[in-house]
Amino acid sequence: MTVQSTNRTTTANPEAALEPPPGTRPGFQGPGLLRSSLLRLAVRRLLTAIPVVWGVTFLGFTVLNLLPGDAAQALLGADATPQEVAKLSRQLHLDQPFFTRYWNWLTGALSGHLGSSLGSGQQVTTILAQRLPVTFELLLFAFVISLLIAIPVATFAARKPGGIFDSITTFIALVGLSIAPYILALLLILLFAVNLSWFPALGWTPISGGLGSNLRSLTLPALSLGFPIGCFYTRLLRADVLEQLEEDYVTTAHAKGLAGWRVLMRHATPNSLFGLITVVALNVGTLLGGTVIVEQIFGLPGIGEELFQAIQTRDFPVVEGIVVVFAVLVVVIGLLADLLYAVLDPRIRYDNPGQ
Amino acid sequence: MTIPVSNEAAAAAITAAGASRVRASRARGRLRQSLALYLPAGLLVLIIAACFLYPLVGNVSPPVGGSVLNAGLPAGTPGFPLGTDASGNDIFSRLLYGGRVSLEVGAATQIIGIVLGGLIGMIAGYSRGILAAVLMRVLDVLIAFPSLVLALAIAEGLGPGELHVIWALSFYSVPAFARLARAATLRLRDQNFMLAASMSGTPRWRIVLFHLAPNLLPQQLTFALLGAGVAIIQEGALSFLSLGVPPPGASWGNMIASGMQTMSVRPSLVLLPCLALLITVAALNLMGDALRARWSAR
Repeated sequence: MTVQSTNRTTTANPEAALEPPPGTRPGFQGPGLLRSSLLRLAVRRLLTAIPVVWGVTFLGFTVLNLLPGDAAQALLGADATPQEVAKLSRQLHLDQPFFTRYWNWLTGALSGHLGSSLGSGQQVTTILAQRLPVTFELLLFAFVISLLIAIPVATFAARKPGGIFDSITTFIALVGLSIAPYILALLLILLFAVNLSWFPALGWTPISGGLGSNLRSLTLPALSLGFPIGCFYTRLLRADVLEQLEEDYVTTAHAKGLAGWRVLMRHATPNSLFGLITVVALNVGTLLGGTVIVEQIFGLPGIGEELFQAIQTRDFPVVEGIVVVFAVLVVVIGLLADLLYAVLDPRIRYDNPGQ
Repeated sequence: MTIPVSNEAAAAAITAAGASRVRASRARGRLRQSLALYLPAGLLVLIIAACFLYPLVGNVSPPVGGSVLNAGLPAGTPGFPLGTDASGNDIFSRLLYGGRVSLEVGAATQIIGIVLGGLIGMIAGYSRGILAAVLMRVLDVLIAFPSLVLALAIAEGLGPGELHVIWALSFYSVPAFARLARAATLRLRDQNFMLAASMSGTPRWRIVLFHLAPNLLPQQLTFALLGAGVAIIQEGALSFLSLGVPPPGASWGNMIASGMQTMSVRPSLVLLPCLALLITVAALNLMGDALRARWSAR
């Protein structure tokens, strides 16, 4: 396997690269040790992840609690009498003290019960199960689009740095990553749905309605999320490929007589690609945030749209459930990226007590 | 090209040609670098001046309180250079006043981020103890918390308004700056100038404020340019979801949202604020990028 530059660790974990871990013997890297250090890494990251997820639930609960107006009022409307509101609050257990409610929610959540929606009475887990697949499909589609943009463009740009193709794509990428997803969404609707009618402007077709029309209904939303991110990845990847081209193994490949494009496609770019893993993991949170507004614009029945409605109706259990899912996703994907990294690059020794 | 007569002359000619080529290409590189910085910077100054100064000196109609009699005028109508929207307000004027909101939100959130986030990050990086650990955990929570949820909840809870948007989006900028400041502090903590300061008996708060902070500033300022772009986009998103500046007040986000309703008939109502937002954010990103290239080259 080809190796990659050690400064990659700085993007993964700024502190990890600074000091060699105590207690590891350099030069001895048996597979057993690798496995155990991986295991230790996994356990440590899990242990730090638990308080973070707990903190997120507590912060979420606190913020929701500080919001003026409550669900009972929102459900009954503006002309409900105070008695009616009080009665419904009692029914929904909204009149209990803050810590009691939080404790009840937390113990429920630990046993897998996220409560039920105050508005519709549906189980939060049911709502999540209905809505998450739509959002996941959208995210996956957007991610594929971003890679389809980033990999070829970055590779070709890095072939001749400073050349015409490189200059043009660098500029486009810089402007492209400045486009807000909602702006791109509107421009795409205007062009492809209103003027050309190639794609539907609104709505979503489930996979049961045919994969083709399902993908068609997701193309514009995925493009509006994926293009700016693709531009961002292009810039990172181009810089990284250029860095890889300075490495010794590239010189070796050239010396062996491999063609330039082959060195680029088979050696430099693949190595740069797993540098992208960390960035992708860091991006998940932003992408999830972006889905809220994109789903709103395109009328997709995903998790972001549900979240927006739930906040407005003060539907605490639903918001809290979504917040937990988001936080767990961000934390778990970050953890997976770190682990994947350690697997792919055996030189990385993760051991930072400071974290 | 003339044929050189001797070997020495040939060598001299080649070196001279090579040197001048190198000089020329260096000059081109320098010119390119300056252009990459000054073009977006100039554009930004132009946008700021247009939004904040032009309404004071130029003949601009008020952005609100237009008469319905003037609704939907096309671009080029005398007094309304870009036409009017569905409520009869001057679009040009609304673009300028909306730009004020965007720029103010962008600047305010980044200043709060640099000051508060910088302080938290420096403390977390410089002090080795329980305080640093606790601060880092809190930052981890804030970073793992879906930021838009927080922004939505705060904007929804405090009610729409520019100031509330700034508070909401600061929850986004502070942890980012803090993380950056902490990483940089960890790098600088054990450098000689820091050790010298601490060995000469400088109090810790003085070291942090007068020795550490100035060294972090360039990086933080570059990051602030990029962060301002993100904040402007987020403000637009909140206004778009009617949680930002409430109508009839002007903001690019709410102009886009209201223009969306008549998008198929009058696309310009959506396109103009979109374009304004895009150009501003792109200028910020281009300038931030050029500054980063310049400072990292040193």
